[in-house]
Amino acid sequence: MKLSIKDPVVITVIVAILTLVGNFVGYKIDPITAFPGMLILYLIVIGGLWITKIMPGNLPAVVYVSLLGIVLTMPWFPLGEKVAELTSQVNFLALTTPILGYAGISMGKDIDAFRKQGVKIVLVAIFVFVGTYIASAVIAHMVLKLTGQI
Amino acid sequence: MLEDKRHLKLHLIVLVLVVLAEFIGTKSFKVGPGTVVLLPMLYALLLGLLTGPKFLRITDMEDMKTAESLITVSVLLLMAKYGTNIGPTLPLIIKSGPALILQEFGNLGTVLLGMPFALMLGLRREAIGATFSIAREPNLAIISDMYGLDSPEGRGVMGVYLCGTLFGSIFFGLFAGIAATTLPLHPYALAMASGVGSASMMSAAVGALVEIFPNMAEEITAFGAASNLATGADGVYMSIFMAIPMCEWMYRKLVGDRAEEVTKR
Repeated sequence: MKLSIKDPVVITVIVAILTLVGNFVGYKIDPITAFPGMLILYLIVIGGLWITKIMPGNLPAVVYVSLLGIVLTMPWFPLGEKVAELTSQVNFLALTTPILGYAGISMGKDIDAFRKQGVKIVLVAIFVFVGTYIASAVIAHMVLKLTGQI
Repeated sequence: MLEDKRHLKLHLIVLVLVVLAEFIGTKSFKVGPGTVVLLPMLYALLLGLLTGPKFLRITDMEDMKTAESLITVSVLLLMAKYGTNIGPTLPLIIKSGPALILQEFGNLGTVLLGMPFALMLGLRREAIGATFSIAREPNLAIISDMYGLDSPEGRGVMGVYLCGTLFGSIFFGLFAGIAATTLPLHPYALAMASGVGSASMMSAAVGALVEIFPNMAEEITAFGAASNLATGADGVYMSIFMAIPMCEWMYRKLVGDRAEEVTKR
């Protein structure tokens, strides 16, 4: 079997390398220290993709990938603490930078469609973003307070 | 073979973007009463946009389409990472379960306030598509199913979707920082609110919060990730069974009767 550069398994390796570079430049964690953690994250992705394939229903891969990450680091999982410690060497912000790099490149094609939108829809969008954030935060704050968490 | 080269080219561009963005690093500064946090991911986004045919012409239309297909795959590692953020804090997250679940209804507050606002601006059926959610891909699919994307509702959701794609993460990154420094809300609550259903918007908001409250970094990241996961799971049902019916109801109450009269004439 020949692996193509278009295969998610290969793309993820490339993203992992980009992240190790960013993790070094931005957060001063050298790639050798971060490697075991990155390898674990990579295996979680591969495992998650496999589970997505064999599970019934149409849940997206991100759900199973996250769940697998949760299970492997839970306090009740024997190696949980070790897995969490190793993966903590990969800063989550370092992982977001390549994603938004690809997103930035692809954004160009939406600019023309966006220009055709009126100013009204932009105002509504801002309203929706602010509203969703503030309403959720206020509810969360009140419930955390009522249940004595904060 | 040509496609392979295109992929390689995009990865190399992103490598340059990553190095530049991380080299600049996170910057935060005070503006009035609030703090504005600028994250490397936001520079990567803007620099990426600059590579396009309208600016530096390093990438063309085909490159942009391929880049879009790479986003979905590149998110997987981040999702694995978020899983490992949630895992160790699971006992705390379970204890905060009620807050985590109930804040999911915050979205409906947007409908209550957003619908009148959109109608006031002169939008009509577009208002339904525009205000029932923060318009990410699953929401686009719902409207496409129920009304079609060519309908006024479809135009509404598409408009907010485009706004979110273009400046959603920038907006949430800036806004979370300002909200955290100006509003009397607990960082945990702000973290939960960050899980709006988009990995990049949530990361931008959480990244800003972590910069402001570094001693709570672990909990903030875990709450944001858990809430985002919850939104991913319940968002579709919330939209179909609650938000859209609410929008329809408000539309009937606020303009429906008059609109019908007009069309009858």
